[in-house]
Amino acid sequence: MRTGARAIVVGLVLLLSACGGSAPGGASSSNSYQGKTIQLGAILSLTGAGGVYGPSSQKGMQLAVDKINNSGGVNGAKLALDVRDDASDKAQSAQVAQTLIQQGQLLALLGPTLSNSAVAVHPLAESFKIPILAVSTTGIHIVPDCNYPKTDPCTYVFRDSLGEETAIPTNIKVYAAKAHPKTGVLMVANDDKFSSDGGKIVQNTVGQYGIQLLDTVAFPKATADFSPVVTKAVQKHPDVIFITSLGGIPAKIMIEARRQGFTGQFLGGNGFNTAVVSTQAADAGKGAESGSAWYLNNTFPSNADFVHNYRTKYGGDPDQFAAQGYAAILILADAAKRANLTFSDTPGDRTKLRDAMQSVNIQTPLGPFQFTQNHDVKQTVWVIAMDGHGGFTLVSSVNPS
Amino acid sequence: MAQQLLNAIFIGSIYALFAVGYTLVFGVLDVLNLAHSAVFMLGAVITYSLVALHGVPFLPAAVIAVLVCGLLGLLIEFVALRPLRRRNAPPISALISTIGLALIFVAIVEQATPSSFFHWLWQDGANSVRFPSNAVPNPTFHVLGLTIEGTKLLILITTVVLMLVLGYVIRFTQLGRALRAVAENRRAATLLGIQVDRIFASTLFLSSALGGLAGLLFGLAISDISPYIGRDQVELKGLAVIVLGGMGSIPGAVLGGYLLGMIEVLAFVRFGSNIEAGVAFAALFLVLVLRPQGLFGARLRERL
Repeated sequence: MRTGARAIVVGLVLLLSACGGSAPGGASSSNSYQGKTIQLGAILSLTGAGGVYGPSSQKGMQLAVDKINNSGGVNGAKLALDVRDDASDKAQSAQVAQTLIQQGQLLALLGPTLSNSAVAVHPLAESFKIPILAVSTTGIHIVPDCNYPKTDPCTYVFRDSLGEETAIPTNIKVYAAKAHPKTGVLMVANDDKFSSDGGKIVQNTVGQYGIQLLDTVAFPKATADFSPVVTKAVQKHPDVIFITSLGGIPAKIMIEARRQGFTGQFLGGNGFNTAVVSTQAADAGKGAESGSAWYLNNTFPSNADFVHNYRTKYGGDPDQFAAQGYAAILILADAAKRANLTFSDTPGDRTKLRDAMQSVNIQTPLGPFQFTQNHDVKQTVWVIAMDGHGGFTLVSSVNPS
Repeated sequence: MAQQLLNAIFIGSIYALFAVGYTLVFGVLDVLNLAHSAVFMLGAVITYSLVALHGVPFLPAAVIAVLVCGLLGLLIEFVALRPLRRRNAPPISALISTIGLALIFVAIVEQATPSSFFHWLWQDGANSVRFPSNAVPNPTFHVLGLTIEGTKLLILITTVVLMLVLGYVIRFTQLGRALRAVAENRRAATLLGIQVDRIFASTLFLSSALGGLAGLLFGLAISDISPYIGRDQVELKGLAVIVLGGMGSIPGAVLGGYLLGMIEVLAFVRFGSNIEAGVAFAALFLVLVLRPQGLFGARLRERL
């Protein structure tokens, strides 16, 4: 590892000196971009459990790619985005990543959609020294310790998606201050990293706000009939049901719980934050609150532009995943612009791009964007509530501390 | 607890309905039709497509889907079973050919393009849909603190009525007598003038129509319609149910279905989801150790 890092540094120094020697100033580096293509690959869950999120990410990314290419590209170079479906499957995700990396042309990867798959894909990208930007993974140990339980930082892994470690506690804090709930039951999918991480965060947080967790009801993702699972939770008569799960499951649980007479509050995680889930839950989901990385009507300068363009292109409102996908492309484009890419030495270019990503400082629909030292995102948390017909309303916003 | 028992009865009904079709084919033809789970899935997705995307009211859509599934049963017979039977292939060959057909059925749904009949798969990427709430009313009753959903009640009633009808047909009609004769001894039945091939075709039609019905009721009550519900939710469980009930026995399949539903739910309540399936299958194993022929399994001549 250490020698590897040293080799990179030496390589970098050589490359930089080579650039410096060949041509002075930024103008020439711009010229070297002219007519070139910056190739990016995205591994998204377009089908399977994550299929409610991946397509949104893809739309957001494509929107940004088109916008940049239509306005002169990156110093004259075009962006090309190769999107592959991993079917929400960890093994398939790793396989797709391997294929993309082995093509040898890509400068950076985006994704994968699910934290569960990131565990397989991110270490792969790290070992091949190709920058990877996570756009929707919110679990624990995504950055910087992608090789968890090993703790040495993964230097090529970044994420622009708000972690559940921030979002869930913020959500609980806001609700506790407002409604003072006494009891809760946690419903958690136990065969998926994203869901079980969320469950752990809920368990570790509720005590601080005087909420007693009466029970934790675990279930596998493939559960068909949620009636027994929901009955077990509802019969404890909790003030709050916490749901940490993904795909269509939160909606199913809400519908079943309302049918069984539950009148309390639903709180949850990132799994709530897409229009598909809000639409599926409909009336049953009305008022369900979650911490989100983005809110439709936020007043950040580049958000209005994003929302307008998204509506024009796709005819509907974007969601958080679209905003994060869109921001990711802006981040990579900005880094590529400043990275002095050679377009001949791919491994060298990847490392230059990685270095430039560390100093990104741009406006995105998520707000002003910079990576933390750990390559993570630091941003406003929007506590939002489902509105009962596919959308969300704002409950409150909490600025980063 | 009472609510959980109710939950068990509802899910048990679906297992029973699925397993009856499964066991019927085994009883008469002596082969396991592993395409049954794919037909189950098609029952749900065809009904959904008709209702949600083509504006057909639920009841006619359900009838069409059940008939289509019945016809698919004939397809299974003519494509996967009869040619092998003609060549005296061993039963394992039929098993493999029905697996092949199942994969093809699932793939056809999966490969749907945005303008095709099953295009809802690409509607929002969710890959799992449910009937629009206005298409199928689902009144919820609250009785003595218990929650009873209309759709689940419908499943229970449908299952019980169908089992009674099926029992009557097999016991007292000409077709039923022929079925039992073929199950007992194919050659003797032929010698008695029964057209065995026609009986096989009828059996597949009946079995697949039941499978499709089970699928659409599953989609209705469980709100989970996707290309994978057959494979993920009922294939193995259905197999367990018919082994538990006694291969080829219809009352066995019904009882086995309810028993598996009950064991699963109780195991979940008592031990949690992590070992629910383990407990359920351990219980099944125990039953089979004590009664290797299954609950209603008997010597060959008493089948059906």
